[in-house]
Amino acid sequence: MTTLEHQVGSHPIPNPQKSLITKLHMGTGLVIGAIFAFGTYYWLRSGQDMTVARNVNKVLLISMFMWSFGFMLGIGAFIGPFRWLIGKDLTAEEQLFLAGEGQGVSRYFRYCTDHKVVGIQYLVGVMAMLGVGGTLAMMIRTNLISPGSKFVTPVIYNSLVGLHGITMIVAMIVVSTGPFGNFILPIMIGARDMAFPRLNALSWWVLFTAIPVLCSAWFLGGIPTGWTAYAPLSVQAGPGMNAFVATIIIFAISTAVAGANITATVVTMRAKGMKWNRVPIFVIGATMSVALAIPAFPTFMVSMIMTALDRTAGTTYFDANFGGSGWLYAHLFWIMGHPEVYVILLPGVAILMEVAPVFVRKPLFSYTAAILGFAGIAGLSVLVWAHHMYMSGWLPMLNGPFMVTTEMISVPTGLIFLVILGTLWRGKPWMKLPMLSVYAFLWNMLIGGVTGVYLSDVPADNYLHGSMYVTAHFHYTLMGAALTGAIAGLVYWFPKMTGRMLNERAGYISFWFTQIGFQILFLGMFIAGAEGQPRRVADYAAVYRNSDRISTMGAYLIGTGMITLLWAVVHSWRKGAIAPMNPWGAKTLEWTVPFPVPLENFDEAPIITSDPYGYGRSEK
Amino acid sequence: MSTETEFHIHHDAPEVVGRRERLGVRLLIVADGAFVFGMIFSYFYLRNLDANGGWLPKGAHYLSAASGWMTVVPLVVAAFAHRMGERQRESFKALSIVTLVALLLGAYYQWHQLAHMPFIVKDTGIFEGGYASMWLLIAGANFFHFLVGSFIALGLVLRARRASIDPILETWRLRTAGSWFTWIAISGIACALTTTFIR
Repeated sequence: MTTLEHQVGSHPIPNPQKSLITKLHMGTGLVIGAIFAFGTYYWLRSGQDMTVARNVNKVLLISMFMWSFGFMLGIGAFIGPFRWLIGKDLTAEEQLFLAGEGQGVSRYFRYCTDHKVVGIQYLVGVMAMLGVGGTLAMMIRTNLISPGSKFVTPVIYNSLVGLHGITMIVAMIVVSTGPFGNFILPIMIGARDMAFPRLNALSWWVLFTAIPVLCSAWFLGGIPTGWTAYAPLSVQAGPGMNAFVATIIIFAISTAVAGANITATVVTMRAKGMKWNRVPIFVIGATMSVALAIPAFPTFMVSMIMTALDRTAGTTYFDANFGGSGWLYAHLFWIMGHPEVYVILLPGVAILMEVAPVFVRKPLFSYTAAILGFAGIAGLSVLVWAHHMYMSGWLPMLNGPFMVTTEMISVPTGLIFLVILGTLWRGKPWMKLPMLSVYAFLWNMLIGGVTGVYLSDVPADNYLHGSMYVTAHFHYTLMGAALTGAIAGLVYWFPKMTGRMLNERAGYISFWFTQIGFQILFLGMFIAGAEGQPRRVADYAAVYRNSDRISTMGAYLIGTGMITLLWAVVHSWRKGAIAPMNPWGAKTLEWTVPFPVPLENFDEAPIITSDPYGYGRSEK
Repeated sequence: MSTETEFHIHHDAPEVVGRRERLGVRLLIVADGAFVFGMIFSYFYLRNLDANGGWLPKGAHYLSAASGWMTVVPLVVAAFAHRMGERQRESFKALSIVTLVALLLGAYYQWHQLAHMPFIVKDTGIFEGGYASMWLLIAGANFFHFLVGSFIALGLVLRARRASIDPILETWRLRTAGSWFTWIAISGIACALTTTFIR
């Protein structure tokens, strides 16, 4: 805790047990959130004509936001700001209580400020979200197992696609920076905690409140628009769309807070001697990712607030009859939407770059090139959004420039490839699970990257857009590369986060099932897409039967792999072999602290005297 | 990574914490700035597209430019009073009240504008085109700025009355709050310029 010291002039409460903070937890949050949500709902609907869609939307949206507000109130998130307001800052005892000191498992259900607790909360939350999103994917693929399948109705199918998409996107955005950016990153840079511990807890619990909101879409008629929620379709959609809108607005708040927190932590709290050229590459990748998210997500928030107002207040942002435009939504969405791809990708790739030197016992090849690659990707990612709009009819004269900027992104991406290949070159890899993920990444990202070049090309996109080819492409980048990186991170840092080794045999089974299933699922999808099978459609022509059947078999293999991984995580967490302090012989700081990691991480503040990848070099 | 050790330092200096907090707030300002950019971009976009002549349909009218600048005045006064208070610490208590009052008045005025906006077509409940819709968004964002600013200003007023608060850290917090007040004034001016000149 870096803020425990500021007690000058505060007004201590001698016994923290008497403080309100000690009485609040997830249960009180749930109760007060539910009271706020249902109270608001029944209060507002009593004065509204609920046969009018606009009134229904208004009542639902306000109730959803009140749920989030009530939960945060009930868990104690506003005590700190309120105490600041009245000039009675939290005492050292209260801050220690918030940090979870001596509270055992119950601290995971409180507004706990310890970054390690927040990291575990993110890990469990992300795994739950991936589980839900994955289950939805299985249902989608089951419906596509044969043409004319009646596994679900077309309306439900549309909702499955929308819910799968947004659940996975939200989960993937935080899959690396959530668990590892919170648990591992501060220790990696030699910090005692995050820069703003209370904001850290806020970012997680705000995200948590979005999960029931998103799930409520099921009971409100689903999300029929896909995750892109294009207007005016999203404006006209049923009540379930309110859940999407509220989720994104709540999530954008969480992301901005988390982004500012992680960035400020890395910029201001690095250990003495940790110059920028000694910062572990995962820290660089995670920081660039969240720093990119800070300006990107608010534009998405603008589009969602506009959607909410169009649905509830009678505004006309996206209604061309009254001066609005669907293109406006597409711009605002994709100005966020394309950087968001790299918000997902960068930390996953950075994890693999962190892992590779450890398992080949060689320094990271060209650290500078790696940073240039990250910076190039982050910088160019904000200049390419309109490639998603080539076929929308918006300003065709700009298709060319956007094609150039999009294709330019392959240059810094190539640098990333070179860094990893250079690191592996002539090394003798220690073929543990995280190392397998590095090879899987190289294969998957190669395919995802090359197929992306075709899609960035206007004439090719004219034919391929809206087809299964696009679906296969972005799954190769987001799942094949970013999720593979995140799973590598889970295996690699599992010993530090849980004190136990991940069951290796189950890990290998999971890896091969997942990767083989992934190739079967998506390689075939490229062919089906190139032959014209459209995406997001519940049925298809008989000519695609074999391709889709094979793809569905691949999906089931992935499902088996993921269930195996889940089993491995749960089983190993409870009964796995006790992990040594540094099982991989790595040189970064997180491996110098014991398990359980002390509250303030380090008994003695570390001073950094060399770079983190000095394998094979003599230590000074 | 090889390390040496030094004496265990539990406590960061107030200056260090202050700088850290200021950076955090500035990063949040970047996020808010992106939001404001998104609004202004949308305003320009819909204005220039003028789909089906719906930016300002027949019978609709622009709100007077003065009404936009009237909401800027309290923002600028608040930012200026706060900066003055930062420099003249002996006058800070009085100036922090000026900041708070200016922001509360601004919030009230902005709320009044929102509650009495003349843009909604009576029978349908639909807004009169693109301009009216954009005006609502910009006014709403301004109102949000006023609310957050008022919360911070109230905190500073209350804290300024408690002599026991760490003076060094509080100095940094004043500067940090100043970043926010300056930003919302800039944002207000940018929005007023947009609604005044892009018509």
